[in-house]
Amino acid sequence: MAAPTSTSLARACTHCLRSRAPQLSRQSSQHLPSISNNRTFSVLHRPPPNYPGHVPLKLPERLFLAAGSAIMSFLDPRRGDLIALLGETTAQPYFIYRLRDTMLKHPTGRRILRDRPRITSQSLSLPYLRSLPSNTIGATYVSWLDREGVSPDTRSEVRYIDDAECAYVMQRYRECHDFYHAITGLPIVREGEIALKVFEYANTGLPMTGLSAFSTFTVKKEERDRLLSVYFPWAIRNGWKAESLLNVYWEEVLETDVQEMRDRLGIEVPPDLRKTRAEIRRKKREERGGKVKTVTASAPAATASDTTVETARVETEAEREEREQLEIERKAMEILEQADKM
Amino acid sequence: MQRSLLHLPIKRSAWAIRTSNVARIAAVRSFASEASPNPEIYDIVVVGGGPVGLTLAASLGAARATSHLKIALIEGMNLASIRDWNPTPDYFANRIVSLIPSTVKLLKETGVWKHIKQERVQSYDGMQVWDGMTDARVEFDWNKLLGGREEGIDTTIAHMVENIHLSHGLLQRLEELAVKPTMIDKTKVEKIEYGQMTEDVDMRDWPIVTLSNGQKLGARLLIGADGGNSPVRTFAGIESRGWDYDRHSMVATFKIEDDSAFPKFAYQRFLPSGPVAILPLPGNFANLAWSTTPEKVAHLKSLAPEDFVAMVNAAFRLSYTDIDYLHNLKSGVVEETKWRESVTKYPDPPTIPVRITEVLEGTRASFPLKMKHADRYIGERIALVGDAAHTIHPMAGQGLNAGVGDVYSLVKSIADGISHGQDIGSSFTLEPYQSERYLPNNALLGFVDKLHTLYGFESGPLVPLRSMGVEIINRDWFGLKRFLMSQAAKS
Repeated sequence: MAAPTSTSLARACTHCLRSRAPQLSRQSSQHLPSISNNRTFSVLHRPPPNYPGHVPLKLPERLFLAAGSAIMSFLDPRRGDLIALLGETTAQPYFIYRLRDTMLKHPTGRRILRDRPRITSQSLSLPYLRSLPSNTIGATYVSWLDREGVSPDTRSEVRYIDDAECAYVMQRYRECHDFYHAITGLPIVREGEIALKVFEYANTGLPMTGLSAFSTFTVKKEERDRLLSVYFPWAIRNGWKAESLLNVYWEEVLETDVQEMRDRLGIEVPPDLRKTRAEIRRKKREERGGKVKTVTASAPAATASDTTVETARVETEAEREEREQLEIERKAMEILEQADKM
Repeated sequence: MQRSLLHLPIKRSAWAIRTSNVARIAAVRSFASEASPNPEIYDIVVVGGGPVGLTLAASLGAARATSHLKIALIEGMNLASIRDWNPTPDYFANRIVSLIPSTVKLLKETGVWKHIKQERVQSYDGMQVWDGMTDARVEFDWNKLLGGREEGIDTTIAHMVENIHLSHGLLQRLEELAVKPTMIDKTKVEKIEYGQMTEDVDMRDWPIVTLSNGQKLGARLLIGADGGNSPVRTFAGIESRGWDYDRHSMVATFKIEDDSAFPKFAYQRFLPSGPVAILPLPGNFANLAWSTTPEKVAHLKSLAPEDFVAMVNAAFRLSYTDIDYLHNLKSGVVEETKWRESVTKYPDPPTIPVRITEVLEGTRASFPLKMKHADRYIGERIALVGDAAHTIHPMAGQGLNAGVGDVYSLVKSIADGISHGQDIGSSFTLEPYQSERYLPNNALLGFVDKLHTLYGFESGPLVPLRSMGVEIINRDWFGLKRFLMSQAAKS
């Protein structure tokens, strides 16, 4: 049922950290048969990696990558790879260690760190998840995957965090992101992603999630207003008081009811963003339908081609994204309905 | 403090002896003429036969100016077990003390050191002290600091000796004295009061000690070496101020892995709950002193031996988060620490202690920690020494050393008083003792107390600041490290 055919659909989860870009070359971590330990850490001489795939960074490199990825992902929030990079380069020092300690203080979090489970299409049987009742975490999770048209394998590997255990914490956070969608019920449209990021910031304290709040400036005004008045207060309050999401062994609670899990963690369901948006859009469409008619009616003198061009241009700028999202949601609804029937 | 030999001023004034002889003759006469309810008069009555009390008796007996004084020492416990102490090489007691060079010097001068079995003493030249939260570290090591440039300097930081060993040596020394003090053990002080005026003597300002066996001792000078809850201090009405740390110190003796490849160091890691220290003993033995909350101490005591060993190894290797979590485990500490140590980076010996392998049976014990300082050390015919005057957190290993410093100073004051023909019990004689000791002790107590507070923070602005300070000390900027080390070498 997964449909990775349409790239526009697949990239819709703009803040998901899902990297579709080809993996960066790992040469840098492999080219050193460390001749001498006395040599200083320079661009030409990197110390050996602490774990497979690790790339040790110097501070200027780290700063450059952080700044670059911050700016570029602000300009193009669809670059999940850059958001992932921003997450890694800003998490260290302190933040990722604090998050690791949060896990170490909790019996379940400790067990996760001990087992280091990875969420992949091998570790999770997707057909089994699809067979679960729709109110379970597993079914909700897989419905996100299906809607997005991706598999759990598309999360990129952590490379820039120096401590192996902390790198795993980052990886775990990344791989569980879709579960957070499932548990909060926030949709994968940008507005929902931003709200979820703020929620994660209050919950995990990772700087990247907090920086993502700046994306508020890039969304439409009505969305921004909605975020600031409804979703941010919800996200901060709930993220702060809820138990750390990193301490949930998602693999073990797949069959649990979503609402039960929310109660256990102490998360309130936010207002249904999907419904709100659909409603507003419908109202607008009706309004605009009338408006376009009046505009066309009130300007009969203008050439027909001019009007068409103008309307077309207006539509491309303002409504392209909305159309895409509408399409996604329609498709998602279909999938959900089908899932319910099954 | 100028350290002169204890063999003090007798040559200057033979008169001093005479005064005191007169006193003794008078005392004997009074004893002879009165019936038993009357007190036996002593020049000095020492209450408390711990290391400080015994050192005091030994020093008074060794110093020429005071060696003739009639002295009684009262101890509640049985001293015979200490006198008959017969150590085996594969066992070390859990209560040990660190003797800094100035203390050892005094013990040598008083002739005690030759009774200490050197094969059971472990001296160490280096100390590794680090912060459990940030790993900021100070290395106290004279050899490293001086780079071997200055010859003939004692590079020893301290000598570790078992308490019972030291007491044993002190008792042996007391046996050899020409005028032996009267040792009254297994006897408690029932009450202390002022004497009465009789036809022969006016003893209204003399403390009379009544013992649990009914014996009465009149003291020209009553010295309290009777610990934190000193009855002598209570009698003198001297207030002692301070607080409980709400921490207990856990002690135990361990067998350790072979450490012959490394120099013998003392190790101390400051965790927010309190410092944990491993102190070297001869051979493959080491001693633990772990200050932490009473609940955690209870947990440590309840653990199975192998879990306890794993816990102590973890205390020097794992993060505080892990240690805190391990305190919740009732069993399975071994497996848990094995996993955590495999994913945690920690330095190798000798930067941290070698692994301990086994805890000696029955050596796990604990005691509560306090900070207390008496308002005064002296009163009319009263003096306080050691814990009776000041109780200190053991993190710096300075408690007994400060007590011995008191002893040295007090003996000097008494000897001076004798040589000037003064009454040894008058506060005028004792005043130099108080003025010499009070401020240094107060500074030491305050310093250690502040360290305890400073390292109690788990997070916040003081954590990086204290680490910065530690860096500065470790680099010996402004000669801070030398200053600290030279201060720690004397009391």
